[in-house]
Amino acid sequence: MVISAVSLSKRWGDNQVFSDFTAEIPRGITGLLGSNGSGKTTLFGMLLGLHDRNSGQLSVLGEDPQTAGPELRQRIGYSPEHHDLPIDLAAQDLVRHVAEIHGLPKREATTRASDALWLVGLGEERARPIGTMSTGQRQRVKLAQAIAHGPSLIILDEPTDGLDPVQRDDMLQLIRDVGTKYEMNVVLSSHLLEEVERIADNIVIIANGSVAASGPIDVLRSQSGGAVVVLDDMHEAVATKLTARGVPTRIDGNRLLLGKDEPIEALAPIVAEVVAEAEASLRRFGPVSYSLEDLFLSEVTS
Amino acid sequence: MTNGTNAEIYDQGYRVYDGPRTGVRTAVFSVWKVSVQRALGLRRKFRFKIIPAITIFISFVPALVFLGISVVFPAELADQFVDFSGYFGLTGVATVLFTAFVTPELLISDRQSGMFGIYMASPLDRGNYLWAKLQAIVGVISTVTLLPVVFLLIGYLLVGVGPEGFSDIASTGLRIALSGLSVALFYSLIGMAVATLTNKAGVGSAVVIMLFLVSAFLANALVDVADAPDWVLAFSLFQLPGDIAARIFDEPINQLNGVSTAASVSVFVATLVLSLVIVWSGYKRVEVSK
Repeated sequence: MVISAVSLSKRWGDNQVFSDFTAEIPRGITGLLGSNGSGKTTLFGMLLGLHDRNSGQLSVLGEDPQTAGPELRQRIGYSPEHHDLPIDLAAQDLVRHVAEIHGLPKREATTRASDALWLVGLGEERARPIGTMSTGQRQRVKLAQAIAHGPSLIILDEPTDGLDPVQRDDMLQLIRDVGTKYEMNVVLSSHLLEEVERIADNIVIIANGSVAASGPIDVLRSQSGGAVVVLDDMHEAVATKLTARGVPTRIDGNRLLLGKDEPIEALAPIVAEVVAEAEASLRRFGPVSYSLEDLFLSEVTS
Repeated sequence: MTNGTNAEIYDQGYRVYDGPRTGVRTAVFSVWKVSVQRALGLRRKFRFKIIPAITIFISFVPALVFLGISVVFPAELADQFVDFSGYFGLTGVATVLFTAFVTPELLISDRQSGMFGIYMASPLDRGNYLWAKLQAIVGVISTVTLLPVVFLLIGYLLVGVGPEGFSDIASTGLRIALSGLSVALFYSLIGMAVATLTNKAGVGSAVVIMLFLVSAFLANALVDVADAPDWVLAFSLFQLPGDIAARIFDEPINQLNGVSTAASVSVFVATLVLSLVIVWSGYKRVEVSK
Protein backbone atom coordinates (compact mmCIF):
# COMPACT_ATOMS: atom_id res chain seq x y z
CA MET A 1 0.00 0.00 0.00
CA VAL A 2 1.19 3.52 -0.76
CA ILE A 3 -0.94 5.11 1.94
CA SER A 4 -2.64 3.47 4.88
CA ALA A 5 -4.81 5.35 7.35
CA VAL A 6 -6.45 3.67 10.34
CA SER A 7 -9.00 5.43 12.58
CA LEU A 8 -7.47 8.80 11.85
CA SER A 9 -8.90 11.81 13.59
CA LYS A 10 -8.05 15.47 13.15
CA ARG A 11 -9.55 18.53 14.76
CA TRP A 12 -9.00 22.22 13.99
CA GLY A 13 -10.27 23.99 17.09
CA ASP A 14 -13.96 23.09 17.36
CA ASN A 15 -14.09 21.74 13.84
CA GLN A 16 -13.76 17.94 13.71
CA VAL A 17 -12.34 17.44 10.21
CA PHE A 18 -11.77 13.68 10.42
CA SER A 19 -13.12 11.07 12.78
CA ASP A 20 -12.39 7.40 12.33
CA PHE A 21 -10.94 7.96 8.84
CA THR A 22 -9.76 4.58 7.55
CA ALA A 23 -8.52 4.03 4.00
CA GLU A 24 -5.98 2.01 2.05
CA ILE A 25 -4.56 3.59 -1.10
CA PRO A 26 -2.77 1.12 -3.39
CA ARG A 27 -0.23 1.82 -6.13
CA GLY A 28 -1.46 3.73 -9.18
CA ILE A 29 -3.55 6.84 -9.61
CA THR A 30 -6.04 7.60 -6.87
CA GLY A 31 -8.68 10.30 -6.94
CA LEU A 32 -9.73 11.96 -3.72
CA LEU A 33 -13.32 13.11 -3.86
CA GLY A 34 -15.23 15.17 -1.39
CA SER A 35 -17.33 18.27 -1.23
CA ASN A 36 -15.73 21.65 -0.51
CA GLY A 37 -14.44 21.77 3.06
CA SER A 38 -14.49 17.99 3.44
CA GLY A 39 -10.81 17.99 4.43
CA LYS A 40 -8.99 16.96 1.23
CA THR A 41 -6.28 19.59 1.61
CA THR A 42 -5.97 18.86 5.33
CA LEU A 43 -5.44 15.20 4.45
CA PHE A 44 -2.67 16.22 2.03
CA GLY A 45 -1.07 18.24 4.82
CA MET A 46 -1.19 15.17 7.07
CA LEU A 47 0.31 12.95 4.35
CA LEU A 48 3.20 15.42 4.09
CA GLY A 49 3.68 15.47 7.86
CA LEU A 50 2.72 19.15 8.07
CA HIS A 51 -0.24 18.60 10.39
CA ASP A 52 -0.20 16.29 13.38
CA ARG A 53 -3.14 13.95 13.76
CA ASN A 54 -5.08 13.83 17.02
CA SER A 55 -5.29 10.04 17.00
CA GLY A 56 -5.06 7.00 14.74
CA GLN A 57 -2.31 5.66 12.52
CA LEU A 58 -1.02 6.90 9.19
CA SER A 59 1.58 5.36 6.92
CA VAL A 60 2.85 6.94 3.69
CA LEU A 61 5.33 4.94 1.57
CA GLY A 62 5.80 2.73 4.61
CA GLU A 63 6.67 5.57 6.99
CA ASP A 64 4.82 7.64 9.55
CA PRO A 65 4.80 11.21 8.20
CA GLN A 66 4.62 12.64 11.72
CA THR A 67 8.02 11.20 12.62
CA ALA A 68 9.74 10.71 9.25
CA GLY A 69 8.91 14.20 7.92
CA PRO A 70 11.99 15.39 5.95
CA GLU A 71 13.10 11.91 4.82
CA LEU A 72 9.60 11.15 3.61
CA ARG A 73 8.95 14.54 2.02
CA GLN A 74 12.00 14.28 -0.22
CA ARG A 75 10.29 11.28 -1.87
CA ILE A 76 7.01 13.14 -2.40
CA GLY A 77 6.16 15.71 -5.07
CA TYR A 78 3.48 18.24 -4.19
CA SER A 79 1.55 20.58 -6.41
CA PRO A 80 -0.54 23.06 -4.41
CA GLU A 81 -3.99 24.24 -5.37
CA HIS A 82 -3.14 27.94 -5.73
CA HIS A 83 -1.77 29.37 -8.98
CA ASP A 84 0.56 31.86 -7.31
CA LEU A 85 4.20 31.22 -8.04
CA PRO A 86 7.13 33.67 -8.02
CA ILE A 87 6.23 35.74 -11.09
CA ASP A 88 9.69 36.98 -12.00
CA LEU A 89 11.40 33.60 -11.72
CA ALA A 90 12.04 31.61 -14.89
CA ALA A 91 10.20 28.28 -14.97
CA GLN A 92 13.44 26.31 -15.18
CA ASP A 93 14.93 28.20 -12.21
CA LEU A 94 11.91 27.37 -10.06
CA VAL A 95 11.79 23.70 -11.07
CA ARG A 96 15.55 23.28 -10.60
CA HIS A 97 15.38 24.95 -7.18
CA VAL A 98 12.55 22.68 -6.03
CA ALA A 99 14.50 19.65 -7.31
CA GLU A 100 17.55 20.82 -5.35
CA ILE A 101 15.66 21.24 -2.10
CA HIS A 102 14.36 17.69 -2.58
CA GLY A 103 17.93 16.44 -2.50
CA LEU A 104 19.05 16.30 -6.12
CA PRO A 105 22.67 17.33 -6.74
CA LYS A 106 22.96 20.60 -8.67
CA ARG A 107 23.81 19.01 -12.02
CA GLU A 108 21.06 16.41 -11.79
CA ALA A 109 18.58 19.10 -10.71
CA THR A 110 19.42 21.22 -13.75
CA THR A 111 19.10 18.33 -16.20
CA ARG A 112 15.93 16.92 -14.71
CA ALA A 113 14.26 20.32 -14.39
CA SER A 114 14.74 20.72 -18.12
CA ASP A 115 13.51 17.17 -18.81
CA ALA A 116 10.42 17.67 -16.64
CA LEU A 117 9.57 20.93 -18.39
CA TRP A 118 9.91 19.25 -21.79
CA LEU A 119 7.67 16.43 -20.56
CA VAL A 120 4.90 18.83 -19.58
CA GLY A 121 5.20 20.65 -22.88
CA LEU A 122 7.07 23.74 -21.71
CA GLY A 123 10.48 22.89 -23.12
CA GLU A 124 10.56 25.89 -25.42
CA GLU A 125 9.14 28.16 -22.72
CA ARG A 126 11.38 27.09 -19.87
CA ALA A 127 13.36 30.33 -19.70
CA ARG A 128 10.23 32.48 -19.55
CA PRO A 129 9.31 34.20 -16.27
CA ILE A 130 6.31 32.49 -14.69
CA GLY A 131 4.48 35.81 -14.46
CA THR A 132 4.21 35.91 -18.26
CA MET A 133 2.61 32.45 -18.43
CA SER A 134 -1.08 31.55 -18.72
CA THR A 135 -2.95 29.64 -16.02
CA GLY A 136 -2.58 26.45 -18.06
CA GLN A 137 1.16 26.91 -18.34
CA ARG A 138 1.46 27.63 -14.62
CA GLN A 139 -0.42 24.40 -13.87
CA ARG A 140 2.17 22.62 -16.02
CA VAL A 141 5.01 24.34 -14.16
CA LYS A 142 3.46 23.13 -10.90
CA LEU A 143 3.32 19.59 -12.25
CA ALA A 144 6.92 19.84 -13.50
CA GLN A 145 8.21 20.99 -10.10
CA ALA A 146 6.31 18.12 -8.47
CA ILE A 147 7.86 15.44 -10.70
CA ALA A 148 11.34 16.81 -11.47
CA HIS A 149 13.02 15.17 -8.48
CA GLY A 150 11.60 11.74 -9.35
CA PRO A 151 9.30 11.23 -6.37
CA SER A 152 7.65 7.93 -5.46
CA LEU A 153 4.39 9.68 -4.71
CA ILE A 154 2.89 12.80 -6.26
CA ILE A 155 0.17 14.76 -4.50
CA LEU A 156 -1.80 17.05 -6.81
CA ASP A 157 -4.31 19.42 -5.26
CA GLU A 158 -6.93 20.36 -7.88
CA PRO A 159 -4.48 20.08 -10.81
CA THR A 160 -7.02 21.18 -13.42
CA ASP A 161 -8.43 24.15 -11.56
CA GLY A 162 -8.74 27.17 -13.85
CA LEU A 163 -8.09 25.28 -17.08
CA ASP A 164 -10.29 25.39 -20.17
CA PRO A 165 -11.62 22.05 -21.53
CA VAL A 166 -8.74 21.55 -23.99
CA GLN A 167 -6.08 22.37 -21.41
CA ARG A 168 -7.87 20.10 -18.94
CA ASP A 169 -7.78 17.19 -21.35
CA ASP A 170 -4.05 17.74 -21.93
CA MET A 171 -3.35 17.97 -18.21
CA LEU A 172 -5.31 14.81 -17.46
CA GLN A 173 -3.42 12.94 -20.18
CA LEU A 174 -0.14 14.20 -18.71
CA ILE A 175 -1.08 13.00 -15.24
CA ARG A 176 -2.15 9.65 -16.67
CA ASP A 177 1.22 9.37 -18.46
CA VAL A 178 3.14 10.24 -15.31
CA GLY A 179 1.22 7.61 -13.38
CA THR A 180 1.45 4.84 -15.96
CA LYS A 181 4.55 5.44 -18.10
CA TYR A 182 6.82 6.45 -15.23
CA GLU A 183 5.04 4.32 -12.61
CA MET A 184 4.72 7.11 -10.08
CA ASN A 185 1.93 6.86 -7.55
CA VAL A 186 -0.43 9.79 -7.88
CA VAL A 187 -3.03 11.06 -5.44
CA LEU A 188 -5.11 13.92 -6.80
CA SER A 189 -8.06 15.83 -5.53
CA SER A 190 -10.65 17.25 -7.83
CA HIS A 191 -14.15 18.57 -7.58
CA LEU A 192 -14.86 17.35 -11.12
CA LEU A 193 -15.96 13.72 -10.87
CA GLU A 194 -15.66 13.15 -14.58
CA GLU A 195 -11.94 13.95 -14.41
CA VAL A 196 -11.27 11.44 -11.68
CA GLU A 197 -13.34 8.86 -13.54
CA ARG A 198 -11.18 9.33 -16.62
CA ILE A 199 -7.74 8.91 -15.15
CA ALA A 200 -7.90 7.32 -11.71
CA ASP A 201 -7.57 3.62 -10.95
CA ASN A 202 -8.90 4.05 -7.42
CA ILE A 203 -11.02 6.53 -5.56
CA VAL A 204 -11.54 7.60 -1.98
CA ILE A 205 -14.77 9.44 -1.24
CA ILE A 206 -14.69 11.60 1.88
CA ALA A 207 -17.94 12.51 3.54
CA ASN A 208 -18.65 13.73 7.07
CA GLY A 209 -15.05 13.32 8.19
CA SER A 210 -14.64 9.70 7.24
CA VAL A 211 -14.32 7.49 4.19
CA ALA A 212 -17.72 6.95 2.57
CA ALA A 213 -16.32 4.59 -0.08
CA SER A 214 -12.91 3.59 -1.38
CA GLY A 215 -11.39 1.10 -3.77
CA PRO A 216 -10.85 0.46 -7.48
CA ILE A 217 -13.36 2.44 -9.55
CA ASP A 218 -14.52 -0.60 -11.54
CA VAL A 219 -15.23 -2.60 -8.39
CA LEU A 220 -17.08 0.27 -6.75
CA ARG A 221 -19.18 0.82 -9.82
CA SER A 222 -20.27 -2.81 -10.05
CA GLN A 223 -20.52 -3.74 -6.39
CA SER A 224 -23.81 -1.94 -5.92
CA GLY A 225 -26.89 -4.10 -6.41
CA GLY A 226 -29.47 -3.83 -9.15
CA ALA A 227 -29.51 -4.89 -12.77
CA VAL A 228 -30.18 -3.57 -16.19
CA VAL A 229 -32.53 -5.27 -18.65
CA VAL A 230 -32.37 -4.26 -22.32
CA LEU A 231 -35.46 -5.22 -24.32
CA ASP A 232 -36.48 -4.85 -27.95
CA ASP A 233 -40.13 -4.39 -27.03
CA MET A 234 -42.77 -4.77 -24.31
CA HIS A 235 -40.93 -2.40 -21.93
CA GLU A 236 -44.03 -1.24 -20.08
CA ALA A 237 -45.51 -4.69 -19.72
CA VAL A 238 -42.31 -6.17 -18.30
CA ALA A 239 -41.84 -3.20 -15.98
CA THR A 240 -45.36 -3.56 -14.63
CA LYS A 241 -44.94 -7.30 -14.03
CA LEU A 242 -41.59 -6.80 -12.31
CA THR A 243 -43.03 -4.11 -10.06
CA ALA A 244 -45.92 -6.44 -9.26
CA ARG A 245 -43.38 -9.09 -8.24
CA GLY A 246 -41.86 -6.61 -5.76
CA VAL A 247 -38.87 -5.50 -7.87
CA PRO A 248 -38.64 -1.69 -8.09
CA THR A 249 -38.29 -0.96 -11.82
CA ARG A 250 -37.69 2.22 -13.79
CA ILE A 251 -37.89 2.58 -17.58
CA ASP A 252 -34.86 4.40 -19.02
CA GLY A 253 -35.15 4.52 -22.81
CA ASN A 254 -35.01 0.97 -24.13
CA ARG A 255 -33.74 -0.43 -20.86
CA LEU A 256 -35.21 -1.19 -17.48
CA LEU A 257 -33.26 -0.36 -14.31
CA LEU A 258 -34.03 -2.83 -11.55
CA GLY A 259 -33.93 -2.36 -7.75
CA LYS A 260 -30.59 -1.02 -6.51
CA ASP A 261 -30.64 -2.99 -3.27
CA GLU A 262 -31.33 -6.37 -4.85
CA PRO A 263 -28.41 -8.71 -5.63
CA ILE A 264 -28.29 -9.64 -9.30
CA GLU A 265 -28.40 -13.37 -8.47
CA ALA A 266 -31.83 -12.90 -6.85
CA LEU A 267 -33.13 -10.85 -9.76
CA ALA A 268 -32.05 -13.24 -12.54
CA PRO A 269 -34.81 -15.94 -12.12
CA ILE A 270 -37.54 -13.31 -11.66
CA VAL A 271 -36.48 -11.46 -14.83
CA ALA A 272 -36.34 -14.74 -16.78
CA GLU A 273 -39.90 -15.65 -15.72
CA VAL A 274 -41.36 -12.20 -16.36
CA VAL A 275 -39.74 -11.84 -19.80
CA ALA A 276 -41.05 -15.30 -20.76
CA GLU A 277 -44.53 -14.46 -19.51
CA ALA A 278 -44.62 -11.18 -21.44
CA GLU A 279 -43.11 -12.85 -24.53
CA ALA A 280 -40.65 -9.97 -24.80
CA SER A 281 -37.34 -10.07 -26.69
CA LEU A 282 -34.46 -9.85 -24.21
CA ARG A 283 -31.24 -8.33 -25.55
CA ARG A 284 -29.16 -8.04 -22.42
CA PHE A 285 -29.34 -8.68 -18.71
CA GLY A 286 -26.48 -7.67 -16.40
CA PRO A 287 -25.29 -5.60 -13.46
CA VAL A 288 -25.79 -1.86 -13.53
CA SER A 289 -22.59 0.11 -14.07
CA TYR A 290 -23.03 3.28 -12.06
CA SER A 291 -21.20 6.45 -12.91
CA LEU A 292 -18.88 7.98 -10.38
CA GLU A 293 -21.36 10.77 -9.97
CA ASP A 294 -24.09 8.27 -9.00
CA LEU A 295 -21.72 6.71 -6.49
CA PHE A 296 -20.54 10.01 -5.09
CA LEU A 297 -24.05 11.38 -4.69
CA SER A 298 -25.35 8.18 -3.17
CA GLU A 299 -22.48 7.94 -0.65
CA VAL A 300 -22.43 11.59 0.29
CA THR A 301 -26.19 11.94 0.64
CA SER A 302 -26.50 8.72 2.61
CA MET B 1 25.70 6.67 -40.49
CA THR B 2 26.80 5.87 -36.95
CA ASN B 3 28.24 2.49 -36.20
CA GLY B 4 27.08 0.68 -33.08
CA THR B 5 30.30 1.02 -31.10
CA ASN B 6 30.50 4.79 -30.73
CA ALA B 7 26.77 5.64 -30.54
CA GLU B 8 25.72 7.63 -27.47
CA ILE B 9 22.36 8.80 -26.21
CA TYR B 10 22.58 12.48 -25.33
CA ASP B 11 18.95 13.17 -24.51
CA GLN B 12 17.14 10.44 -22.62
CA GLY B 13 14.10 12.62 -21.85
CA TYR B 14 12.36 12.57 -18.50
CA ARG B 15 13.22 9.65 -16.25
CA VAL B 16 12.68 8.85 -12.60
CA TYR B 17 15.62 9.75 -10.31
CA ASP B 18 16.83 6.90 -8.15
CA GLY B 19 20.27 8.22 -7.18
CA PRO B 20 21.40 9.46 -3.78
CA ARG B 21 19.75 12.50 -2.24
CA THR B 22 21.76 15.21 -0.56
CA GLY B 23 19.58 15.95 2.47
CA VAL B 24 18.47 18.98 4.40
CA ARG B 25 21.82 20.82 4.42
CA THR B 26 21.77 21.10 0.64
CA ALA B 27 18.16 22.22 0.76
CA VAL B 28 19.12 24.98 3.20
CA PHE B 29 22.03 25.98 0.95
CA SER B 30 19.73 26.09 -2.09
CA VAL B 31 17.25 28.38 -0.29
CA TRP B 32 20.16 30.57 0.86
CA LYS B 33 21.55 30.80 -2.68
CA VAL B 34 18.21 31.62 -4.32
CA SER B 35 17.46 34.19 -1.60
CA VAL B 36 20.80 35.97 -2.03
CA GLN B 37 20.31 36.00 -5.80
CA ARG B 38 16.81 37.40 -5.38
CA ALA B 39 17.88 40.14 -2.95
CA LEU B 40 20.74 41.26 -5.19
CA GLY B 41 18.61 41.06 -8.35
CA LEU B 42 20.75 38.31 -9.88
CA ARG B 43 19.04 36.20 -12.58
CA ARG B 44 16.30 38.84 -12.59
CA LYS B 45 15.49 41.80 -14.84
CA PHE B 46 17.67 44.92 -14.74
CA ARG B 47 15.19 46.94 -12.67
CA PHE B 48 15.58 44.49 -9.77
CA LYS B 49 19.33 45.15 -9.69
CA ILE B 50 19.05 48.94 -9.36
CA ILE B 51 18.24 49.32 -5.64
CA PRO B 52 20.85 46.81 -4.38
CA ALA B 53 23.51 48.19 -6.73
CA ILE B 54 22.89 51.81 -5.69
CA THR B 55 22.73 50.97 -1.97
CA ILE B 56 25.92 48.94 -2.06
CA PHE B 57 27.65 51.68 -4.04
CA ILE B 58 26.54 54.35 -1.53
CA SER B 59 27.90 52.28 1.35
CA PHE B 60 31.31 52.20 -0.36
CA VAL B 61 31.43 55.95 -1.06
CA PRO B 62 32.85 56.95 2.38
CA ALA B 63 35.53 54.25 2.02
CA LEU B 64 36.52 55.62 -1.39
CA VAL B 65 36.65 59.17 0.03
CA PHE B 66 38.78 58.09 3.02
CA LEU B 67 41.14 56.18 0.76
CA GLY B 68 41.40 59.21 -1.52
CA ILE B 69 42.31 61.37 1.48
CA SER B 70 44.92 58.86 2.63
CA VAL B 71 46.50 58.91 -0.83
CA VAL B 72 46.48 62.70 -1.17
CA PHE B 73 47.60 63.64 2.35
CA PRO B 74 50.83 62.57 4.05
CA ALA B 75 50.63 59.33 6.09
CA GLU B 76 50.88 61.18 9.46
CA LEU B 77 47.88 63.35 8.62
CA ALA B 78 45.96 60.55 6.92
CA ASP B 79 46.29 58.43 10.07
CA GLN B 80 44.06 60.97 11.83
CA PHE B 81 41.19 59.99 9.53
CA VAL B 82 41.39 56.27 10.27
CA ASP B 83 38.14 55.45 12.07
CA PHE B 84 36.64 52.03 11.45
CA SER B 85 33.95 52.10 14.12
CA GLY B 86 32.62 55.45 12.92
CA TYR B 87 31.99 53.92 9.51
CA PHE B 88 28.86 52.10 10.73
CA GLY B 89 27.26 55.43 11.61
CA LEU B 90 28.07 56.80 8.15
CA THR B 91 26.36 53.94 6.35
CA GLY B 92 23.38 53.80 8.74
CA VAL B 93 20.86 55.32 6.31
CA ALA B 94 21.98 53.04 3.46
CA THR B 95 21.71 50.02 5.77
CA VAL B 96 18.20 50.95 6.92
CA LEU B 97 17.06 51.38 3.32
CA PHE B 98 18.66 48.10 2.28
CA THR B 99 17.01 46.30 5.21
CA ALA B 100 13.66 47.81 4.27
CA PHE B 101 14.13 46.49 0.73
CA VAL B 102 15.66 43.08 1.42
CA THR B 103 13.67 41.59 4.30
CA PRO B 104 10.14 41.96 2.87
CA GLU B 105 11.48 40.83 -0.50
CA LEU B 106 12.82 37.59 0.94
CA LEU B 107 10.11 36.72 3.45
CA ILE B 108 6.80 38.24 2.37
CA SER B 109 7.21 37.27 -1.29
CA ASP B 110 7.56 33.59 -0.33
CA ARG B 111 4.31 33.68 1.60
CA GLN B 112 2.47 35.62 -1.10
CA SER B 113 3.71 33.52 -4.00
CA GLY B 114 2.95 30.20 -2.33
CA MET B 115 6.63 29.25 -2.26
CA PHE B 116 6.46 28.87 1.51
CA GLY B 117 3.96 26.03 1.05
CA ILE B 118 6.20 24.38 -1.54
CA TYR B 119 9.18 24.70 0.83
CA MET B 120 7.21 23.15 3.68
CA ALA B 121 6.25 20.22 1.44
CA SER B 122 9.97 19.57 0.91
CA PRO B 123 12.52 18.24 3.42
CA LEU B 124 12.70 21.75 4.90
CA ASP B 125 10.77 22.69 8.02
CA ARG B 126 10.02 26.11 9.49
CA GLY B 127 13.22 26.10 11.55
CA ASN B 128 15.70 25.40 8.80
CA TYR B 129 13.77 27.55 6.32
CA LEU B 130 14.13 30.53 8.67
CA TRP B 131 17.76 29.63 9.32
CA ALA B 132 18.44 29.74 5.56
CA LYS B 133 16.63 33.07 5.26
CA LEU B 134 18.48 34.57 8.24
CA GLN B 135 21.83 33.56 6.77
CA ALA B 136 20.85 35.00 3.39
CA ILE B 137 19.62 38.31 4.85
CA VAL B 138 22.64 38.71 7.14
CA GLY B 139 24.90 37.88 4.20
CA VAL B 140 23.26 40.41 1.92
CA ILE B 141 23.13 43.20 4.54
CA SER B 142 26.78 42.50 5.33
CA THR B 143 27.57 43.82 1.86
CA VAL B 144 26.74 47.30 3.20
CA THR B 145 27.91 46.87 6.80
CA LEU B 146 30.94 44.59 6.66
CA LEU B 147 32.31 44.67 3.11
CA PRO B 148 32.97 48.45 2.85
CA VAL B 149 34.93 48.39 6.13
CA VAL B 150 36.92 45.35 5.00
CA PHE B 151 37.55 47.18 1.72
CA LEU B 152 38.68 50.23 3.70
CA LEU B 153 41.06 48.16 5.83
CA ILE B 154 42.63 46.54 2.78
CA GLY B 155 42.90 49.96 1.10
CA TYR B 156 44.58 51.50 4.13
CA LEU B 157 47.03 48.62 4.34
CA LEU B 158 47.90 49.05 0.67
CA VAL B 159 48.56 52.80 1.02
CA GLY B 160 50.47 52.27 4.27
CA VAL B 161 48.20 53.85 6.87
CA GLY B 162 46.06 52.29 9.60
CA PRO B 163 47.05 49.27 11.70
CA GLU B 164 50.61 48.02 11.59
CA GLY B 165 52.04 44.63 12.45
CA PHE B 166 50.32 41.27 12.36
CA SER B 167 48.65 41.43 15.78
CA ASP B 168 47.29 44.95 15.20
CA ILE B 169 45.98 44.01 11.77
CA ALA B 170 44.48 40.75 13.07
CA SER B 171 42.87 42.54 16.02
CA THR B 172 41.39 45.23 13.77
CA GLY B 173 40.21 42.58 11.30
CA LEU B 174 38.47 40.63 14.06
CA ARG B 175 36.80 43.77 15.42
CA ILE B 176 35.62 44.70 11.92
CA ALA B 177 34.21 41.20 11.37
CA LEU B 178 32.50 41.10 14.77
CA SER B 179 31.00 44.56 14.52
CA GLY B 180 30.02 44.20 10.84
CA LEU B 181 28.23 40.91 11.47
CA SER B 182 26.63 42.13 14.73
CA VAL B 183 25.26 45.20 13.00
CA ALA B 184 24.03 43.09 10.05
CA LEU B 185 22.36 40.63 12.43
CA PHE B 186 20.67 43.49 14.28
CA TYR B 187 19.19 45.02 11.14
CA SER B 188 18.32 41.58 9.70
CA LEU B 189 16.36 40.36 12.70
CA ILE B 190 14.42 43.62 13.08
CA GLY B 191 13.59 43.52 9.37
CA MET B 192 12.55 39.86 9.60
CA ALA B 193 10.31 40.57 12.60
CA VAL B 194 8.53 43.35 10.71
CA ALA B 195 8.25 41.18 7.58
CA THR B 196 6.68 38.43 9.69
CA LEU B 197 3.92 40.72 10.94
CA THR B 198 2.65 41.97 7.59
CA ASN B 199 1.81 40.39 4.25
CA LYS B 200 2.35 43.56 2.23
CA ALA B 201 5.91 44.24 1.11
CA GLY B 202 5.31 48.00 0.82
CA VAL B 203 3.96 48.20 4.36
CA GLY B 204 6.89 46.11 5.63
CA SER B 205 9.43 48.43 4.01
CA ALA B 206 7.72 51.54 5.36
CA VAL B 207 7.47 50.12 8.88
CA VAL B 208 11.18 49.18 8.91
CA ILE B 209 12.19 52.72 7.93
CA MET B 210 9.75 54.31 10.39
CA LEU B 211 10.87 52.03 13.21
CA PHE B 212 14.49 53.15 12.95
CA LEU B 213 13.73 56.83 12.37
CA VAL B 214 10.92 57.20 14.92
CA SER B 215 12.86 55.36 17.65
CA ALA B 216 15.84 57.67 17.07
CA PHE B 217 13.62 60.78 17.12
CA LEU B 218 11.76 59.70 20.26
CA ALA B 219 14.85 58.63 22.22
CA ASN B 220 16.69 61.86 21.45
CA ALA B 221 13.62 64.01 22.12
CA LEU B 222 13.05 62.31 25.48
CA VAL B 223 16.64 62.91 26.55
CA ASP B 224 17.08 66.42 25.14
CA VAL B 225 13.63 67.88 25.77
CA ALA B 226 12.02 65.82 28.50
CA ASP B 227 15.23 65.34 30.52
CA ALA B 228 14.94 61.56 30.44
CA PRO B 229 18.05 59.66 31.67
CA ASP B 230 20.81 59.20 29.09
CA TRP B 231 20.37 55.43 28.88
CA VAL B 232 17.10 56.04 27.02
CA LEU B 233 19.30 56.85 24.01
CA ALA B 234 20.05 53.12 23.80
CA PHE B 235 16.49 52.71 22.48
CA SER B 236 17.41 54.65 19.37
CA LEU B 237 17.53 51.67 17.02
CA PHE B 238 19.18 53.85 14.40
CA GLN B 239 22.13 54.82 16.62
CA LEU B 240 22.46 51.64 18.66
CA PRO B 241 24.31 49.52 16.01
CA GLY B 242 26.99 52.22 15.61
CA ASP B 243 27.29 52.45 19.39
CA ILE B 244 27.81 48.69 19.67
CA ALA B 245 30.47 48.82 16.94
CA ALA B 246 32.23 51.67 18.78
CA ARG B 247 32.25 49.60 21.98
CA ILE B 248 33.70 46.62 20.09
CA PHE B 249 36.46 48.96 18.86
CA ASP B 250 36.66 50.56 22.34
CA GLU B 251 36.38 54.06 20.88
CA PRO B 252 34.39 56.31 23.25
CA ILE B 253 34.14 59.14 20.73
CA ASN B 254 31.64 57.16 18.62
CA GLN B 255 29.62 55.87 21.57
CA LEU B 256 26.24 57.24 22.67
CA ASN B 257 26.79 59.96 25.26
CA GLY B 258 26.09 58.86 28.82
CA VAL B 259 24.96 55.34 27.91
CA SER B 260 26.78 52.54 29.74
CA THR B 261 28.04 49.46 27.97
CA ALA B 262 25.65 47.36 30.08
CA ALA B 263 22.64 49.42 28.99
CA SER B 264 23.72 49.44 25.37
CA VAL B 265 24.40 45.69 25.21
CA SER B 266 21.20 44.88 27.14
CA VAL B 267 18.99 46.79 24.70
CA PHE B 268 20.91 45.31 21.76
CA VAL B 269 20.49 41.72 22.98
CA ALA B 270 16.88 42.29 24.07
CA THR B 271 16.04 43.63 20.61
CA LEU B 272 17.60 40.55 18.99
CA VAL B 273 15.73 38.18 21.31
CA LEU B 274 12.41 40.00 20.90
CA SER B 275 12.80 39.98 17.11
CA LEU B 276 13.59 36.26 17.16
CA VAL B 277 10.52 35.55 19.29
CA ILE B 278 8.31 37.55 16.90
CA VAL B 279 9.71 35.74 13.85
CA TRP B 280 9.44 32.27 15.35
CA SER B 281 6.00 32.68 16.90
CA GLY B 282 4.73 34.35 13.73
CA TYR B 283 6.00 31.58 11.46
CA LYS B 284 4.64 28.87 13.71
CA ARG B 285 1.20 30.25 12.92
CA VAL B 286 1.64 30.57 9.15
CA GLU B 287 -0.75 28.09 7.58
CA VAL B 288 0.56 25.83 4.84
CA SER B 289 -2.62 23.91 4.08
CA LYS B 290 -5.75 23.37 6.11
